Amino acid sequence: MISFLNRYGRQLRILLLIVGILLLLFILFGLPMNLLQSSIRLATPYVLGSLAAIIASRAGVLNLAIEGMMLIGSFIAVAVLYKTGLDPLIGVLAATIAGGLLGTIFAVLYLRIKINLIILALAVNLFIANATVFFLRTSFGAFGTLADPSIRSLPTIQLPLISQIPYVGSLLGGYNAVVYISWIMVIVIWGVLFRTQFGRHIRAVGENREAAVSVGINVTRVQIFALTLSGMLAGMAGSFLSIGVLSQFVADMTAGRGWTSITVSLFAFEQPIPAFFTSLFFGLSEALSFYLQSRPELQLPPDLLLALPQIVTVLALVLVAIRIRAGVLLRRHNFATQFTQELQKLRQGQLIGDAPPKAPEQPASAD
Amino acid sequence: MKGKSQAMTSAVEMRHIRKFFPSSQVLASDDVSLEVAQGEIHAIVGENGAGKTTLMSMLYGLIPPDEGEIYINGALAHIAHPHDAIRLGIGMVHQHFKLVPSFTIAENIMLGIEPNRGGFIDSKAEAEVVRELANNFGLPVNPNLHVRDISVGMQQRVEILKILQRDAKILILDEPTAVLTPQEVSELLSVIRKLAQTGRTILLITHKLLEVKEIADRVTVMRRGQNVGTYKVSGVSVRDTATMMVGRAVTLQVEKTPAKPGEVVLKADNLLVAGAGGIPAVFGAGFELRAGEILGIAGVSGNGQTELVEALVGMRTTDGGTITLHGTDITHATVRTRRNGGLAHIPEDRMIMGLNLKTNLDENVVVTSYQHEPYSERGIFNFRSIRSLAQNIIDTFGVRSARVGEEIKTLSGGNLQKIVLGRELKGDPKVIIANQPTRGLDVGSIEFVHKTLVQERDKGAAILLVSVELDEIFALSDRIAVMFEGKILAVLDAATATEEQVGLLMAGGSLEHAESEKAQE
Amino acid sequence: MNVIRQTLDRVSIPIIAILLGLAASSFFVALAGANPIDAYQRLFCEGFGPKGCATFGDLIFVQAEQEDGSFQTVFSPTYGAGGNRLALVLEQATPLILTALSAAVAFQVGMFSIGMDGQFVLGGIVAAFLGYWIPDQIYLAAGVTDPETASESLRTIMHLVVPLLCIGASMLVGAIYSWIPGILKIRLNVNELISTIIFNAIAVQLVGYLVNFPLRSDMNNIARTRRIDDTAWLIPFNRGIFADIEWFSGARLGIGLIIALLAAGLVWFFLWRTTAGYEQRMTRGSSLFARFGGIPSARAALRAMLISGALSGLAGALYILGVERRVVDGFATSGTGFEGVLVAILSKESIIGILLVAPFFAGLNLGAINFQFGNLPRQLGGIIIAFIILFSSMEDFIRLQLAKLTNRGRARRRDKTPGEAAV
Repeated sequence: MISFLNRYGRQLRILLLIVGILLLLFILFGLPMNLLQSSIRLATPYVLGSLAAIIASRAGVLNLAIEGMMLIGSFIAVAVLYKTGLDPLIGVLAATIAGGLLGTIFAVLYLRIKINLIILALAVNLFIANATVFFLRTSFGAFGTLADPSIRSLPTIQLPLISQIPYVGSLLGGYNAVVYISWIMVIVIWGVLFRTQFGRHIRAVGENREAAVSVGINVTRVQIFALTLSGMLAGMAGSFLSIGVLSQFVADMTAGRGWTSITVSLFAFEQPIPAFFTSLFFGLSEALSFYLQSRPELQLPPDLLLALPQIVTVLALVLVAIRIRAGVLLRRHNFATQFTQELQKLRQGQLIGDAPPKAPEQPASAD
Repeated sequence: MKGKSQAMTSAVEMRHIRKFFPSSQVLASDDVSLEVAQGEIHAIVGENGAGKTTLMSMLYGLIPPDEGEIYINGALAHIAHPHDAIRLGIGMVHQHFKLVPSFTIAENIMLGIEPNRGGFIDSKAEAEVVRELANNFGLPVNPNLHVRDISVGMQQRVEILKILQRDAKILILDEPTAVLTPQEVSELLSVIRKLAQTGRTILLITHKLLEVKEIADRVTVMRRGQNVGTYKVSGVSVRDTATMMVGRAVTLQVEKTPAKPGEVVLKADNLLVAGAGGIPAVFGAGFELRAGEILGIAGVSGNGQTELVEALVGMRTTDGGTITLHGTDITHATVRTRRNGGLAHIPEDRMIMGLNLKTNLDENVVVTSYQHEPYSERGIFNFRSIRSLAQNIIDTFGVRSARVGEEIKTLSGGNLQKIVLGRELKGDPKVIIANQPTRGLDVGSIEFVHKTLVQERDKGAAILLVSVELDEIFALSDRIAVMFEGKILAVLDAATATEEQVGLLMAGGSLEHAESEKAQE
Repeated sequence: MNVIRQTLDRVSIPIIAILLGLAASSFFVALAGANPIDAYQRLFCEGFGPKGCATFGDLIFVQAEQEDGSFQTVFSPTYGAGGNRLALVLEQATPLILTALSAAVAFQVGMFSIGMDGQFVLGGIVAAFLGYWIPDQIYLAAGVTDPETASESLRTIMHLVVPLLCIGASMLVGAIYSWIPGILKIRLNVNELISTIIFNAIAVQLVGYLVNFPLRSDMNNIARTRRIDDTAWLIPFNRGIFADIEWFSGARLGIGLIIALLAAGLVWFFLWRTTAGYEQRMTRGSSLFARFGGIPSARAALRAMLISGALSGLAGALYILGVERRVVDGFATSGTGFEGVLVAILSKESIIGILLVAPFFAGLNLGAINFQFGNLPRQLGGIIIAFIILFSSMEDFIRLQLAKLTNRGRARRRDKTPGEAAV
């Protein structure tokens, strides 16, 4: 299997590329525009969520509480708008701050008090899921959902010049602020990670903690900042769910998108730009499932269609794992062949034991 | 202590350093004094446990000395943390590099001190700084290459540039040639020479005496925490240095009759085993082990012994070569298959590998035999027989403070090792691989372990003893093999082998070379 | 002496965690404008207390009104008038015990699988389907058109065989559904936490689909499956053998609990008395020790996953066959499986712990749902649980603070001081 991959590796990659391009063309031109538009809209929580996962993972901490950070964002956005009736963007801001706060708390509990990461994440997610509904009842008197005319959802924005371009215009224009912010965030996070000192330190901490410590970087501080940033992004993602699509908060409205965001990050090998495109794909699968539900003539059961994104997620996980495993096996194979050859050369050239090292001034001995 | 008299102050002076580790009862530094001149290339040699790394760790601020003073450039220094050392101009390149693989060379060198404008890194300036630095020192690098793509030798160069960038005037290199190819070794040696010419002081921790001969001005030999002597390299032979390194004749005496070796039971041939970072740790090693003999594998740790043992017992994949047990090929067999074939393993690390400290004595004692009768029948445990096994081990091996059914995590090292021994030897194994079997043990326990191994040998078992303690090797072995850089350099008859010979081989020399040196005198 | 000290030691941290959890949650109670002490009294009474319970004291001894109007002090847990809450607690603890065992078995081998939810609902739907389908086939084969007229002997045989077949099938399905994430982890190193969460979601959707379409039995407002045949039914105590004991009325507690306790015993026996269980315990987190000794860890891990899945599948089957007798839309999202995970975490995976924590958990939830104290929604139960989990996982930290407080710093035995390794 390894030798097969080795020999035809290049051809396989070209084949995959062609298939990918064909698929892309089909998607762009074969599917109805409103489906594409909802794909882009629905991708937004995954875009922001995966960025949240990426920045935390890069700093060496798997943020398993993204689900909770998203949910608190959804809730706070609605709660703030309900209480104050202000501009929806204030709701987004409040959600972002709430997420960030939760991120900081999470970081302190994990790094300073050293609670087991998985248990901490489960507890946090559990707490948020219950606390949001709790306050829904006690502070707002609502049962399970909070909707009110005073909660304004985000208005859509028409891009001045771009919306006039024939096909691309309708693809790129007419979304709400959070969608556009999410696109900007992809660039921003990319910039932070790869162009700033802070980002450089994050990556050093995540990749080789020893290296960071040895040059005096305060690892804990970097990780706390990274997790706070992660929480902010997740909070923003949550605000999109509650005031970007609908204008209400529903209990458990994140519906596993936090976990899917982590998968997106894994699938994209923790890089922002591939994560963006992967998110689009997940947005598509979500949009597709809704779309197919709205076409009763196809007689496809809605529950199964809702499972479509999840199934895609599992396949994505498996694909990533296969790729990594193949890489490991390949490296092992290469090692064995390379050094067996070297060993043979050594055997033919001399007796066991090294000749003493010679400084460059003297002619090299038969090694 | 011989040494050059200096007109200038010494770069480094360590006076009467003492360091004792209470938890292992080891006196790592016993009134050690060291003096290194400016611009000198000073080698510190010694076997494992000699105390050289501890000494340098104290110089670099990784651990504090119990007693003694350190003077840098004539001034008393308080080095409590590596940052203090860096500020004083001391830099250390460790054996395991601290580089970020996905970063470029420039990014690694400038980590933490990146040139930036308001947080945004100026990559061009960064590369420029690094290029200039590299050229200044005659260590050219391409700043834009990623560290994961460059050779190990180049990675080491990056580490050196990293400390030079932070104004290191005193460089400590810990076993720098351990991971290099011969070509890279000569490159490194010329780099060291160049750096010394700039007035920098180089401290070289190593056990490879041929390299010391090649490059160093003076050498300090350490043994058992003491500074045995400092000599001009030009004035002392490799053979004598090796002898000093390993010390006087065997202080350990173990009663044993001559061996009566039988047939070959374990054979390793041309083994290739990967180590960390994709470099082979075992590179063509091989041996034949006979029943009724003890074959000792000597060598400074880090030359592939760990990986060799792991490959032999089945805990690490063998990438090339063959291992044969009683004529059957077991190169890719599971641990269990090998154990069923009569292979026992006394591991290097009894606390993590040899025992499970979270559980009790019974469960520890039965891990290699639980699936056999009488300890279990059809999947269900027979606790009575397990308890009697445990009690048997306690009695036969004299394990103190251990009781059947109780936790073992509070037992002393010696008693823990007795449990390991008891368990491994219970099944009358045909082949015993003992890896550093007396590490961290008190004198009484060491005696006991040695006596037991000899007993097993006399019963007809074949024993492979891997140890960094030369006394132990000489005391127990019937034949002595020396492992260096992943190969078995030579196998000597213990009766006729001398410490000089073995010490020399351990340090990478060859016997022919020693002969020629001798002839030159 | 030592045993008592050890037990006290082990029990003290969970108790402290519970108290701290309650204390932290009282902040939220106060925020909602209620008095925490009153609220908690109500909570515990609704969860564990007999009829007429109003204070903490009533949980142990309560004033029972007699027929003649006078009051008598009775021991609360056995007081049966109007049905005792504890029966309901035990009924709801039954699936919790099994799913917690399921989680514990998985955690014991180092697999952080939380797929209990998915396995539970799949087990449930399988039992719900086979619960009527198998009897149908049997009646067909026996030429019986109206089940009421079937012969006594046939029905007796069916009463034994049908539930067994249903349970067996559920356990098999659960086992397979747990095995898949297991093999993905072993062979491909796919993170089992994430994969089991996604598998749960898929199972939930699948069951939702099945309930709403192929298995939908009537065009009721809420979709539901056909009711299982009477021969598949595990008759609850209050309808069967203990029908006249008032203590059991009000709860569909039945043989499921017995089976759950038996399962707990079997799991304990398996883990601590068999070689397979030993292998699993030593493997935890691919322990070097296990590899060194030659234990086939991969096999042990997969076996643990199979057992784990079977236990959750069993939980689902018992719940359907004993309590609900059909699957109603919404069953899939009830989250029972996940609660088992929480119980397992809280009880630190000890079997005895699970048997104690599961009823506590069930009662807490029950109390929260029922207590209707002012404005306090039942999510308070979840908040309390979350805090308790948080505090119980801060064990090391709490111990440290306690040691500092009592100034009885226990010197921990450490083998190497820093830097020593590099001698």
